[in-house]
Formats: sequence, C-alpha cells, structure tokens
Amino acid sequence: MSVEEAVAMYSKPAYPALPSLLGAGRRLLVIQNASLAEAARLHEQLSADGQPLELASLHGEAAWTGQQVSCGAFALLEVRLLILLSSAPVGTRLYICGDESFLWQVSRLARESGLLDEEIERVKVGSARELYCVHCATQQCIGTETTVICSGCGVHLMVREHFSRRLGAYMGVCLDAQRPHGEGRP
Amino acid sequence: MSAAIAVRVARIRQLTPLVREFTFEPVHGRLPGFSPGSHVLVHMPDARRPLKNAYSLLGDPADCRQYRIAVRLAERSRGGSRYLHEKVAEGDELQLSPPANLFAPSKLARHHLLIAGGIGITPFMAYSADLQAQGASFELHYAFRAGLTDAYRDELRGQLGERLHGYDATQRQRLDVAALLRAQPLGTHVYVCGPQRLLDEVREQAAALGWPQSRVHWEAFATAEPGEPFVATLQRSGRQLQVSAEASLLETLEAHGVEVPSLCRGGVCGLCATPYVAGEVVHRDHFLSASEQATRLMPCVSRGRCGSALTLDL
Repeated sequence: MSVEEAVAMYSKPAYPALPSLLGAGRRLLVIQNASLAEAARLHEQLSADGQPLELASLHGEAAWTGQQVSCGAFALLEVRLLILLSSAPVGTRLYICGDESFLWQVSRLARESGLLDEEIERVKVGSARELYCVHCATQQCIGTETTVICSGCGVHLMVREHFSRRLGAYMGVCLDAQRPHGEGRP
Repeated sequence: MSAAIAVRVARIRQLTPLVREFTFEPVHGRLPGFSPGSHVLVHMPDARRPLKNAYSLLGDPADCRQYRIAVRLAERSRGGSRYLHEKVAEGDELQLSPPANLFAPSKLARHHLLIAGGIGITPFMAYSADLQAQGASFELHYAFRAGLTDAYRDELRGQLGERLHGYDATQRQRLDVAALLRAQPLGTHVYVCGPQRLLDEVREQAAALGWPQSRVHWEAFATAEPGEPFVATLQRSGRQLQVSAEASLLETLEAHGVEVPSLCRGGVCGLCATPYVAGEVVHRDHFLSASEQATRLMPCVSRGRCGSALTLDL
C-alpha cells in the first residue's frame, strides 16, 4: 500500500480493476467511450457466462458493440438509460465504465431510477474527476492537480480527497485564508 | 433503559379460535408514538415465571390513544401466549416496555411488497395504515388457513381492495414467491413476517434473483424456545444460576437482578450479546457471526449445554 492509499479519506471511492459479477439477473453496461480497451475487456467479461446484457455508450465505435450506435450526447444517453431502467426488474446490475465524472453522473441517474449503490459496479478509466467549490457551488472537471482556481468565483482552491457520492465530486476549499475572495478582489 | 408504561386492557376480541386481540389504553397520560413495524414487550409477572414477550403494534401509527396487539396461541407455549389468552381479562393492568422498531419500512423504497404468513400479518396492519396515508405504492400478500390464522382478512379486504392478495392453505392456494419476486420493478423493497420457512423461502429466492440484502426485510417470531436445563456461572461474582428447561438465560439473569439490556428478546437485534469465557453454547441467534459466537452469546435465545459449565463475563 502506498503512502497515498494509506492516508486516503474514508469517503474516497475505491475502484476495482475488474468488477465482481454480482447476481444472476439482467445486466446493463454503460460506457463513456466504446474505443476504450477497458470497456472492451469489461464487455467480454460480462458476456462470458451468457447472461442477458444490454449496452449503452456515449461516444466511440468498436467492432464488439455490434449494431449498437453511440448516443453522442449525454442527454440522449440519459434517455436511453432511463428507458432501460424503467423496465428493469429488481436483481438488475448496472456496470459503468468511464472517467470518474462520468461514473458518478450515470450513478446519479441510476439511483434516481431506484438502483441501490450495491447494485452498481464502476470501472474507472483515466484521471478526470469533478471538483465542487464549497464557496460558490460551481462544479468543474479537473485532473490530478491538488490546487485549482475555481471557474465560478476565482478562489484558489485546495482539492480535498473528500468525496460526495451525491454530487459525484471532490470538495474544493479556499487554499489561502488570507485571500478568501481569490485573486478577483483586492 | 426507558421506564415501563402502565396500561389497562380496554378490550379483548377473539378474532379466530387461535388469535386474540388486545387493546391497551394508558393508565396515566398518553402513550408514546410509534412507527410501522414497532413492537412492545408485554411484561407478564404472574405467569409461572416472569416473562416479557414481544408483540407487533398493529394499530394506525397516527393514533396514539391506544395500542393494539394480536396474540396467536402457540402450540408449544412457554407460557406467554397461554397467559395472555387464559389469564388476562378486560380491565386488568399490565406493564409494557416502550415501542422499539427493528422492522421499519424503507424511506427510499418506490414500491413496498409485503408478505405475511398467518399471525405475521400484525406488523403489516400498521404498515397498511401508514402506507395508505402516505399514498405509497404497496401490495400485501397474505398466506393463511381460513378460519384459524386469517385474522383481519375481511378488514384488510375492505381497506385494500385489489392490493390484498390472499392465499388460503385450506383451498390449496399457494403463494409462488419466486414468480412474485421476479416481476418487481427497480426500487422495490420486500418485507416478510411469518413462520421461519416462509422467511427462509423469501430470503433464498430473493438472493437467487440477485436482490441485495438491503432490499429484503424480515421479522421472525422472536421468542425463546425451551431447551436443556443448565448452570450459568457469573465470573465476576462467582454466583451460580440454575436455568430451567423452560426459562431463557436472559429471563434467569433478570430474575436474579442481573440487568442485561434487551430489545427484541428473539435473537435478532444483538443488544443483549454477552461475552462468555467457558462452556459449550447452543447458539440460536440470527445476529452474531460464527467468529463472534466463539466469544459471545445472546442470552435471550441461546443456552448452555446441559452439564457444560457456562461461565459468563458478568
């Protein structure tokens, strides 16, 4: 275990490299980009035992998706996912593959449709993640950086490894108490 | 622990040859509020030995003027149900422990699937009133033997209409648990109360269909079963207590002034778990893991083996 892992916040989600295959019911696979190697590997793993599998993707094309066409826009993916979930029985499992921002955007939709966290498995790809500014409530997409200027209020934020599952975002707090209004105001 | 509530038996109704309903009113002041699925412990000091049995509150939780319970006469009664059926009369005063809830409906459920077997209908009387008042989506499946264990069937049919599904064993009507669970939409929670084989069937089928445990809620008929007599030694004081075949270890401790906190008295809530240091234990709880059972036991249902010197860390 690295030092970083050893001091990880309790709220920080952990993502297994390969998800466990839970339950025997219907499976939904939602992917951010079909050209990702991780998505292809996950699809192969989920298809191996012949259980019914439904697919929805946001971007990209790949041979393994068959006739499936990517939605192209998140709003269209949302509609497709809501239709799939509205007819799904209890026992359905949702597998999501993409960056951390995507994982939690989709998780939020799924939870609003009645899925529990125990029924969702997430495979994280890349380092993009969401940051929530606790001062102005702006949410922005960031990478691995640990300090960021808030795109909403201009405050210099420290990225805390404190994760909100509801927002799907890490908390950003004012880094310099001497400059509580950021660079924008004197 | 909260003080007991003094109540008077306001009304007794014989619902079926096996099931008797008791309505309690407070001797002083008002009764505490309760949530659907709550139970009270009825103290029975005049039974052959002091007993406290848990019974679900079955009235409308919005009505705190009275409490109602329904008691099925147990075939192998250790004295509790027999005492209530034969000794308690209208006008008598009894003590109750305040309501506690180990079987509450999920606030996040989009649909509630209620499954009752026989006297297991009692918590769902409060559920039905509450879910109906909220306008929540629910259905009640009730398996019974007509004329014996079908308490409240007519009342429920009037209240719930098509939401009530009855299964009469005397007509060979069978509740197909697997088919029922297979057809439930996302966001459903299932609740089951009844005999152990019904609980086992619902839990096994739900697991096989991929229902996570957090969607499956169950309440056993929480009660101690008789066993072999044995001796319990209290390590700190060196006292030795004789536990008779009929009494539970918890009741014996209480009878000797040793207060162990308890809630369900049926091996499910875990509150009374007590460490032990020696002796062979017959574990009967549904709460402790196998590794926890190596050092702790739940005296409400679990017992020492006859001839094995059980030593409690008390």
